[in-house]
Amino acid sequence: MSSQRYALFPGCLMPTEQYAYELSLRASLPLLGIDLVDLPGLSCCGEPMKSVNQTLTLYLSARNLALAEQQGLPFYVPCPQCHLSLHETNLILQKNPAMLERINEMLKAEGLHYTGTTRLVHTIDLLYDTIGLDIIKKHVTNPLTGMKLVVHYGCHAIRPKELGRPDDSENPQKVEAILKTLGAEPITHYPQKLDCCGAPLLPNKPETALAKTGQKLQAIQELGASGVVDVCPWCHKMLDSRQTKAGETVAAKLDLPIVYLTQLLGVALGVDKEKLGFTLNLSPVHKLGLRSQP
Amino acid sequence: MTITDLTSMGEPQADARAEINDRLKRLQDHASDYCYQCAKCTSGCEAHKLLELEPHKIVALLKRGLITELVNSDVIWTCMTCMKCRERCPQQVAPIEILFAAKNLAVQSGKELPGKYTAMLQSILGTGLLQEVQTVTTAANATMTRDQLGLPPLSVPSDVAKFQASIMAIAMQKP
Amino acid sequence: MRKIGVFICHCGINIAQNVDVDALTDYARTLPSVVVADHYKYMCSDNGARLIKDSIKKHALDIVVIAACSPRMHETFFRDKLTEGGANPYRLEIVNIREQCSWVHKDKPTATEKAKALIRSGVGKAQQDEPLTPSTIPVIPEALVIGAGIAGIQASLDLANDGFKVHLVDHDPSIGGHMAQLDKTFPTLDCAACILTPKMAEVANHKNIELLTYSHVQSVEGSIGNYTVKIQQKPRFVDTTKCTGCGDCAAACRLKNRVPSEFDQGMGNRSAVYMPFPQAVPLKYTIDPTKCLYLSRGKCGDEPLCKKACAQDAIAFDQKEEILERKVGAIVVATGYDLLDPAALYELGYEQHKDVITTLELERLINSSGPTKGEILRPSNQQKPKSVTFILCVGSRDETQCTWCCRIGCMTALKQIYLLQEKLPDIEINLCYQDVRSYGKGYEEFYRKVRGQHTNLFRGRPSEVRQKTDHLTMDIYDTTTNKLYEIQSDLVVLVPAMVPRATAAETARLLRLTLSGDGFFLEAHPKLRPMDTFVAGVFIAGCCQGPKDIQDTVAQASGAASRAATILSKKELEIDPMIAMVDEDACTGCGICVDICPYDARSINEKNRIAEVNSALCTGCGGCVAACPSNASIHKNFTKKQILNQVDDIL
Ligand code: SF4
Ligand code: SF4
Repeated sequence: MSSQRYALFPGCLMPTEQYAYELSLRASLPLLGIDLVDLPGLSCCGEPMKSVNQTLTLYLSARNLALAEQQGLPFYVPCPQCHLSLHETNLILQKNPAMLERINEMLKAEGLHYTGTTRLVHTIDLLYDTIGLDIIKKHVTNPLTGMKLVVHYGCHAIRPKELGRPDDSENPQKVEAILKTLGAEPITHYPQKLDCCGAPLLPNKPETALAKTGQKLQAIQELGASGVVDVCPWCHKMLDSRQTKAGETVAAKLDLPIVYLTQLLGVALGVDKEKLGFTLNLSPVHKLGLRSQP
Repeated sequence: MTITDLTSMGEPQADARAEINDRLKRLQDHASDYCYQCAKCTSGCEAHKLLELEPHKIVALLKRGLITELVNSDVIWTCMTCMKCRERCPQQVAPIEILFAAKNLAVQSGKELPGKYTAMLQSILGTGLLQEVQTVTTAANATMTRDQLGLPPLSVPSDVAKFQASIMAIAMQKP
Repeated sequence: MRKIGVFICHCGINIAQNVDVDALTDYARTLPSVVVADHYKYMCSDNGARLIKDSIKKHALDIVVIAACSPRMHETFFRDKLTEGGANPYRLEIVNIREQCSWVHKDKPTATEKAKALIRSGVGKAQQDEPLTPSTIPVIPEALVIGAGIAGIQASLDLANDGFKVHLVDHDPSIGGHMAQLDKTFPTLDCAACILTPKMAEVANHKNIELLTYSHVQSVEGSIGNYTVKIQQKPRFVDTTKCTGCGDCAAACRLKNRVPSEFDQGMGNRSAVYMPFPQAVPLKYTIDPTKCLYLSRGKCGDEPLCKKACAQDAIAFDQKEEILERKVGAIVVATGYDLLDPAALYELGYEQHKDVITTLELERLINSSGPTKGEILRPSNQQKPKSVTFILCVGSRDETQCTWCCRIGCMTALKQIYLLQEKLPDIEINLCYQDVRSYGKGYEEFYRKVRGQHTNLFRGRPSEVRQKTDHLTMDIYDTTTNKLYEIQSDLVVLVPAMVPRATAAETARLLRLTLSGDGFFLEAHPKLRPMDTFVAGVFIAGCCQGPKDIQDTVAQASGAASRAATILSKKELEIDPMIAMVDEDACTGCGICVDICPYDARSINEKNRIAEVNSALCTGCGGCVAACPSNASIHKNFTKKQILNQVDDIL
């Protein structure tokens, strides 16, 4: 298998606290022929600043895109929020030459220049479209048999369709298909599937953000799923790290295992559990009964 | 001749309205004028169920030109960016993008940033990222750092001074 | 020497106030060949017309130039005046000094100068206008009607009653179209079958109507007055001369009640051999070759049970398709509509939840000869619903789906609400609407009646429909009370947008029709020629032209029939002679004109390898003239020389 090189765009949340995502993707993707390159000089994608100043968002996204362009590498962007921000910036700069010129004027200070060619992938399309289920299947050595999982896609991975997202906006099924390939039995539909985790309210209304998390998790718990799979560090922060607190807002005792797709991928590919950051999941992931390959 | 909102004595601000619309057209290629108030956006709005955000009303205020009321309202800061409004609007209006524009205007007009936004902005200025590297707790209550987990060093802007200068310059410009 | 008369119209003050008509008249007199020039207040009035006719006689004019409004307004009228005065009607030039001069220039001298230049060039071109005589073609007094829904049925009956032979073609095994699927019709609550089936029977028995069901128009050639149509008749695998419609075959079929019925919108089942509904016309059975075990797999148990059951020996597995040829003088297209598949709005749950259905599906449930014998039962559990929610405008008025209004959705929902309340008096009904459009006669009154009957009206659109244990829920923000509600219901009825037939583009190609942006057939003029198309002799009726209710459909169908009858009632038709012709000496037979002609009017004569023009098909568009590399293609009275003269005179 020939390897494909991607520059990793870590974003803010994953490299500063959501280490399980970073550990698991670094441990598992190379097994599927993905060669991750660490670029120096990256920064926040700017998405959280869109409320404050959208030009700042465009600038921050563009400077990161420019750094990848310099190396001639596509970006692998594990955070859907960063992915949306970089992607939307690409689209705006492509169809708006005046804006591209303005941004490039700003980039000069750091000696950067962007022409608009950096290609992006997120975990979902990297696995489903770029690598493909056939290749993944060939590498599964430790199938996740019997696991009834639901997928929480998060908002930014699927909406808005108009801009082109890693999966369908109304009926996303790629992660479920990946999980099936890993041997699990995903629950393909549930009423709250497309709902928000609450994270974007964290800076301003942290209490309400948690209430949103609590409501969604409570509904999932009632479904009788063995666990929730996610693909976004923000969602994971809410669903996993803050699960107990979120439960308090809805007066429910929540104990749902929450795992990153890349963590399960690692297990199924036979990576040692130790290397996949499971000790960092605060939700009861032990309930999943995951075993490293004997 | 003019129109007056008798509850606030506000009057339509054609210029401010045109400015927001122009920006939406330019960046998102969306035109709010086509909204016919079906309220599909509000029916599905994640924030509406918990807070008081009514995206269809945001669009209506913009269409009416009551920009001061829009920009001064605290409710614009409650959007959860779930994007369901933009996704499902039958007229391809994007209330969420109007909210971003309104928040930008609020900041531009000197309104104080709510919640943690100031801290986040300062962190980006200082380190390039939203927050510093955190020490995390494991399920077994041990503490862990990035280094201890064997992860490579963070990637951050190489010349912080130049990076900061660019951001400060943008903050001075119109969005 | 040619004698030209120039007549200048004031158009009241429309022209005269901004163009100096006296100066123009004096100027016109100085132009070559002009023997008389005059002006008048309204050239299109009786007096104006007399002035032209008298001048033609008095000065023995052979060419007339009229400076007035656009030729689109009065060209035919003025041609008649030339004929009446004794000149050839095709030696007429109209110079537009209203739209092109007085209306568009503020300054009178400029407008006058421009008018002079236009008249000068008009006279220049007219110098070479030749007398032309229209040719004629005989008319075949028969019509083809495509589609046998209510529009096609009405048009066929009107034409047949006028004494014309009609060939009525429908792709379904029975005629009746969508209307046959309906229970009652709004706002009068007439039973659809009660008013439709008598017409269907009349079609079946009319001596002037040839009914070709389960058939498909394959090709259309020729032109107005004389079309040759090839019709493919699919095999029914049932000998219709023997079949009595008894139904023994369907009762015996191995797949009895196991094939979803198209007519019942999948709410009920049929056999592989079936008649779509009990009042079908013709009252004959058809074997569905895609489902029939014998036809699709070559084997049906030991033997096909239908064949065994049929006492008439009507089952005919060896039947083949037939191609029929018919010659007709006019065509009425009445191919109807499709409904949008609501799965396009995935969030509304049609694909995921059994109890989310469409209005047409509910129509089959309400109908007493439908799959539930008129009982309203939830598809998920066959129980009566306690609460039903209607959602209007599903995909209609929606930039992501159909931008238009379906014009029947609001009234359909109101009618169904009324019928549900009649059948299930305790039922709770919710209606999510944005506007209720009740624009027809008696419609608003019907809406008022339903408003008075405890219907919960929510003004808003729900964002999505979800399943919750055994029922469906939706959140809806109601802009009348400014509150968000959760509606729980047992059944959700979607009112889908009306869309063009999936086959519309193919039909358009067959008939050379144009589609409007929405994909429906384009009428020649939205106000004044709503049944005409741009193809002479082809008319459109009903929803193939755009959404409409039964009332409007029937009116339009009668209109289209009458437009067709205008042609069919003539023995022969005159053909406009201002069309293309071929200079046989110059033509090299290269065939470029054949490729370029959008109306198939060009061909190469096999014998002498020279291009020919079919005068019945040529519309005089001039495409071939521009394309011909040998200057052999000539447009009568628009020759290159004439046009160059015109240009020279203006410059
Ligand atoms: S923004 Fe769109 S969804 Fe919201 S009220 Fe207007 S048209 Fe309806
Ligand atoms: S993006 Fe914001 S305004 Fe739009 S529906 Fe979601 S929370 Fe509501």
